[in-house]
Formats: sequence, structure tokens, C-alpha cells
Amino acid sequence: MSVAPAKAAPTVLGVRGLVKRFGGLVAVDRVDLDVTQGTVVGLIGINGAGKTTLMNCINGIYRADAGSVHVHGTDATHMTPHGIAHLGVGRTFQVPRSFNRMTLIDNLMVPVLDSSRSDDELFEQAAACLAQVDLYELRHNHAEELSGGQQKLLELARLMMFDPSIILLDEPFAGVNPSLCRLMIAQVERLREAGKSFLLVSHDLTSIYRLSDRIYVLNQGEVIAQGGVDDVKSDPRVIEAYLGN
Amino acid sequence: MNTVLLINGLVGGIVFGAIYALIGCSLNVLCGVLRIINFAHGEFVIAGTFFAYVLLTALGIHPLLGLPVCAVTFFIAGYALYFVLIPRLARSDEPETSSFLLMFGVSLMLVAVMLWIFEADIRPVNFSFDPINVTLMTIPDAYGEGRHGRVVVPTARIVALAVNAVIIIGLTWFLYRTLPGKAMRAAIMNRDAVQVVGINVQRLSAAAFGLAAALAGVTGTLLALVVPSVDPNGGADITLIGFIVIVLGGLGHPVGALAAGILFGLVEQLATVLMPQAAAQMVGFMILVAVIFFRPQGLFGRAALR
Repeated sequence: MSVAPAKAAPTVLGVRGLVKRFGGLVAVDRVDLDVTQGTVVGLIGINGAGKTTLMNCINGIYRADAGSVHVHGTDATHMTPHGIAHLGVGRTFQVPRSFNRMTLIDNLMVPVLDSSRSDDELFEQAAACLAQVDLYELRHNHAEELSGGQQKLLELARLMMFDPSIILLDEPFAGVNPSLCRLMIAQVERLREAGKSFLLVSHDLTSIYRLSDRIYVLNQGEVIAQGGVDDVKSDPRVIEAYLGN
Repeated sequence: MNTVLLINGLVGGIVFGAIYALIGCSLNVLCGVLRIINFAHGEFVIAGTFFAYVLLTALGIHPLLGLPVCAVTFFIAGYALYFVLIPRLARSDEPETSSFLLMFGVSLMLVAVMLWIFEADIRPVNFSFDPINVTLMTIPDAYGEGRHGRVVVPTARIVALAVNAVIIIGLTWFLYRTLPGKAMRAAIMNRDAVQVVGINVQRLSAAAFGLAAALAGVTGTLLALVVPSVDPNGGADITLIGFIVIVLGGLGHPVGALAAGILFGLVEQLATVLMPQAAAQMVGFMILVAVIFFRPQGLFGRAALR
């Protein structure tokens, strides 16, 4: 009896030869990167390595100077951020961008502006998303009343409202207390189980090693190493980039 | 102090204040969502007054009945004008400075167009209400020797105030209870975050521009009810008042602008009653300077919003 070969997970996000310059500074330099469905791809590097810039190019906040970004096979290189969001890419920010003077429930209603569902259904979904990140009890509070860590969870809950298939998380664990950090990790794992794909930027190597299926290491805008967690940990170029000679 | 005059000043302050509130609120939505300084807002308001004037003189339509037509027409014009003017600004190195200059140019152009069509004369808007005036209250022995005082307000002003209140309630409901309104407030708070959750910011901005234009048109019509004449050169004063109101209320704080408009109207009208006319004009501006010095985030804004 022959066994059919396991089908490789499709690439949902493909970056090819991406370049972003700011004047004479090359912030992202010919980066190739793939995220396959249902995986967490980690992106690490020292400060100024170009991680957030790469993320900004992927989701259309910055326009790349060269190279391409494909989302589910569609060329998204020159699309607007909202167009890329409609392809199924959601993101959070290093410094949370909550709508501070709105209640948590209202924060979650913003992404569903064009929804044809009834208000009751949308409120129910928003309440469920908030419950997932332990913020349901605070649903009528303003976002500005939350701690930094809670605001990061609120951003994640807001993403869940429009149900993106690819989630870009920029420093989700920075400045977050250990208990909220565990909650964030649990949410990432839950969403991955549900088939979501992640590109995760973090300085918290413990968390990123735990979560990532594959890691890319950026240094001065270039990918200097990539592979599984163990490969990257022992790569001399990575050790040199982090610790010096 | 004459009680009748004082109460008249209060009533006038509320009537004018409600109009200032509407001006400030629409400017605030524009500044917040689009990050543009609309120096032509006053001319949009005057255009609204001319719209009411034309409907009345050419078609015999009462300004009050023309109000919905004015709102829809100005919304469509504003929505279309957005795509002609504003997206180009995004390519500028300094969009806010460019918007200031661009809208100043639009302001001059609109004044020129209105002067061309209507000439420089101040024109009366001759509508009528029955009764013409309403006696709000009678104050016994207000002038001594048994002479009663009456607080009399033109019916048109009461109608303008009532319509204004309905519009303000509707606007607040729109901004706080509907999804597009919440999206507009969210865009005021963080434009990038709105884009990355899939909101088309261009369309939202065009809607905000259209809304501000519609409010300006409606304000112009209400202004015709309160001051039944129209001057093509009157826009600059209105724009100035609008900016005072948003500084007082807090930039990016539409409801703050509503409260600040009423406050400014009351102070302006009471100062007119209580002080010599030349000195009275200073009071509003003195408040503006004081707020900038001591509470730059505005009376109703918060420091973090700036």
C-alpha cells in the first residue's frame, strides 16, 4: 500500500527582494521571507535591524522601493493598508494604537464598519472576542484606562473582529507583565490551532523560541540567518550580531 | 443692571452659541479626520446662506424647507471636492501647511465666485414667520414705576435654535452611536490603526469632508434665520470664530466644540450687553489667549490628545 506524500502547507505571505530606503539609509535590504499557513514565523534582530520597517512595508504603511509582497498569491506590493487588510492581513503595533476615548466594545466595532450583520450580532461577537483576552469585564471602560499590556490584548481582540488569516504582531510581549504575556502566548497558540498564520517580531527570545516554527534574523536590513529555532540559536552569524565578536 | 437686557443677552448667546457650536464641530471633524486646516469653512457657511437666499428669491422656498436640500447638495459637493483637492496633499512634504495654503486659496476663490455672482451688496433674506416675535417672559416692574419689561425674541431665532439643537443631537448620535460615526472618531484618534483594520480612509475622509460641508451649508441657512442678510465677504469672521471654538473645546474633540461654541456665544453676547461695544469684541479673544496660555489642550480636551 502506498502512502500519499504529506501535502505542504501553502505559502500565505511571500516577500521577495524587498528593499526600503530612507534617503541614503537602506532599512530593508533585499529581504526574502515566507509564511506558510498555520505557522508562526519569528522575526528577530537587534534594535534598528529593520523588523518594524519590514512589517510596515508588508502591510502597506510604507511603500517598498523594490521587491514584492504577495498575500495568498495576490500581488499586494503597491496596495493600500486597508486593501491589504481586506486580503486578510491584520497587525498590531509596537506601541498599541487603541482608540483611547472609546469603550473597548466600540474599539472592536470599528473594523466591522462595512458588515451587513445586525448590531446585536456584532456586539455579541465583540463581547466574545473581549472574553477571549480577559477584557470582557472592562468592556464599557475607555481604552485609555487599560494598562499597556491590556491595550496589546485589546489590539489582538480588535483583529479577531475582522478575522484576518495572517497576523503581524509587532513586539506583543514588550512591557507586558508575565501573566498577560502568558495570556498573549495562549491566544497566539489558539489562533494558530485555528489555522491562522503569524509573523511575530519580538525581543523576547524565550517567547519567540517557544512559539515560532521558523525564524528569520535581520541585521542592518538583511536576512543573515533563517531556519528552525535550534539552527538559528547556534548560527555563529546570529551570535555575532547579538553579542559581537 | 437691566434684567431684561441681561436675559436677552443670555438668549442671544445661546442662539448664536449653538450656531458657533455647529461651525466648531464640523471644523473639528475635518481637522481630526483629515488633518487639514479648512480656511474656507466660513465661505462654505456663507455659500449656505446664499443657497437659502437663492431658493427663497428664485423658487419661493422658505429657508427652513430648503434645509434638507441644502444639506444633501453640500454633502455631495463636499464629497466630490475632497477627491479633487485633498488626495494630492498626501504627496506633499508638509501636508498640514499645504492644506492651510490650499484651503486659503479655495477661500479666496469662493469669495471671488460669490462676488461675481451676487456682487458686493449685502442682501436681505426676506422670509417671515407668524408671529414675527415671541414674548418669552414678562418681568414685573423691570423699569421701575410699575413699568413691566418683556423679553421678546424673534420667532426665526427660536426656530433656528430648535433646528440647531436637533442637528446637534443628530450629529452626536451619529458620531457616538453609528458605525460610520465611530469610525470617524477612531480616525481622529488614530488614522493608521483605522487603516490596518480594513477601513478605507480615503472614503471615510471624503465622507467627513462631505459631512463638514453639509453642516456648513446648514449652518449658513440657520444663520440666515438668525441674521436675515448675507454678505459675500463675511466668511473670514466665521472661520475665525470656528477656530476659536475648536481651540476652546479641544482639537479633535467634536463634543467639546459644541460646549465651547455655546460658551463663546454666551460670553460674546453678554459682553455686548454689559460692556461698551468696542471692549466687548475683545472678550472672546481674551478667553482664547487665556486658554492657549493656561490650558492649551482646550477646556474639554486632554493633554494626551495633542
